[in-house]
Amino acid sequence: MSSNSPEPTETDATPCAYTEYRSADGDVAAELPATGADATGLESDVWDALYEIEDPEMPISIVDLGLIYGVSVAEGVATVDMTLTYSGCPAREMLTEEVEETAAAVEGVDDADLRLVWNPPWTVDLVTEQGKEDLREFGLSI
Amino acid sequence: MTTPDFSDPENLTARERQALECLIKRLADDEFVLAERYTEWQVRAPTLESDLALANNAQDELGHARLWYDVLGDHGYTERELVYERDPAEFRHSTIVELPFEEGDWADAVLRSYLCDVAEELRLEALEASSSPKIANRVAKIQQEESYHREHAQNWLERLAEGEEGHERLQAALDRLFPHALTIFEPCAPPHGENANKTNETSDDEPRATGSDVEADIVDFGLRTATLEELGEEWLAIVVPYLESLDLDVPESGQTGDGEFEFEVTQEMLPDERGRDGIHTDAWVDLYDDFTHTYRELGRSEPTKIMETPE
Repeated sequence: MSSNSPEPTETDATPCAYTEYRSADGDVAAELPATGADATGLESDVWDALYEIEDPEMPISIVDLGLIYGVSVAEGVATVDMTLTYSGCPAREMLTEEVEETAAAVEGVDDADLRLVWNPPWTVDLVTEQGKEDLREFGLSI
Repeated sequence: MTTPDFSDPENLTARERQALECLIKRLADDEFVLAERYTEWQVRAPTLESDLALANNAQDELGHARLWYDVLGDHGYTERELVYERDPAEFRHSTIVELPFEEGDWADAVLRSYLCDVAEELRLEALEASSSPKIANRVAKIQQEESYHREHAQNWLERLAEGEEGHERLQAALDRLFPHALTIFEPCAPPHGENANKTNETSDDEPRATGSDVEADIVDFGLRTATLEELGEEWLAIVVPYLESLDLDVPESGQTGDGEFEFEVTQEMLPDERGRDGIHTDAWVDLYDDFTHTYRELGRSEPTKIMETPE
């Protein structure tokens, strides 16, 4: 863990809009936006794989968009907590299937379980600095 | 009474499960059916902007319906069973969401939206501290998306009320819709089969809600923190003064006492069909046939899959 440094660096630190939260069923607490920066082993591999998935409408990784709230791997099963920007998202099934398949395809992972979570609701505050840059380049003001 | 642990869907009693399912159907069916009606305005609303706004609201309501139906996934229900294959008499939405629009009557759409959105704000507040974590955790997302709806409706109401024709149309819509809006706060009947055992007074097996404890259970189990009576009174205390401020006459406003803002929904104020009890208007059957038409026509078994998955 390298997060105990008293001096914030400008390069990779993203201000956290939220700190602790209760997940869909009250079983995980995490800091948001989550990027897997501190993850190790298989969990880190899953994060890396998820980073490759782009939002269907904009050239931004779904991780930088802030959709992934948490990743854990236990006994070969990857559990991904994920939200959507919008409850009526027409790409819901496409995205959730892609995430599940991608996580399950990581070497060392046998199966993946995706939990759609809605609390805290997604807002633009959950977009990482990298994500904001990508969106600006795409032409969005953020 | 100790609050049941709704975080563990496996270990609920039959009564707890029934309360949860009834509450979800109230919420989800209202959203789903209202969205179905809103979409009728697509490419027909008075301006492109209002067309897009209402289409977007419809999409929001569909998203919210899905969020609520998802809660029942824990109990083994699928979207297919809950929407496309459910007996139309087992839907528990209020009749205000199923009524057809008078042709081209934008005042109806705007007023209906206002009446429903105020009720929705109140009931979401009463779900913030629900004993079901799945319910409580969905509230903020829905509130985030709902906040524009009421603003949109009020904006239009105020504009329409200023003109003579708009005002007349609003008044006509209010006279027609108001009794049905009150059914939002009516008790739900449990599923048909179970209810048949409880009420043996009538032989024709009508699923009237009388004699059912399910609404009391919803509150006693902490699933919702306000009773239907409380929600109905709060709703009247908001919509009646607001509509009167637009010079509209509210039929049977439920105002009691003198000068005090005290309200009560009474039986005389209600229409015959109340939706929540499984008794719907004829328009519901037509709407149900419409939205399930393609599903049946194509012989689908999975609503979201267009083709069979290749082997």
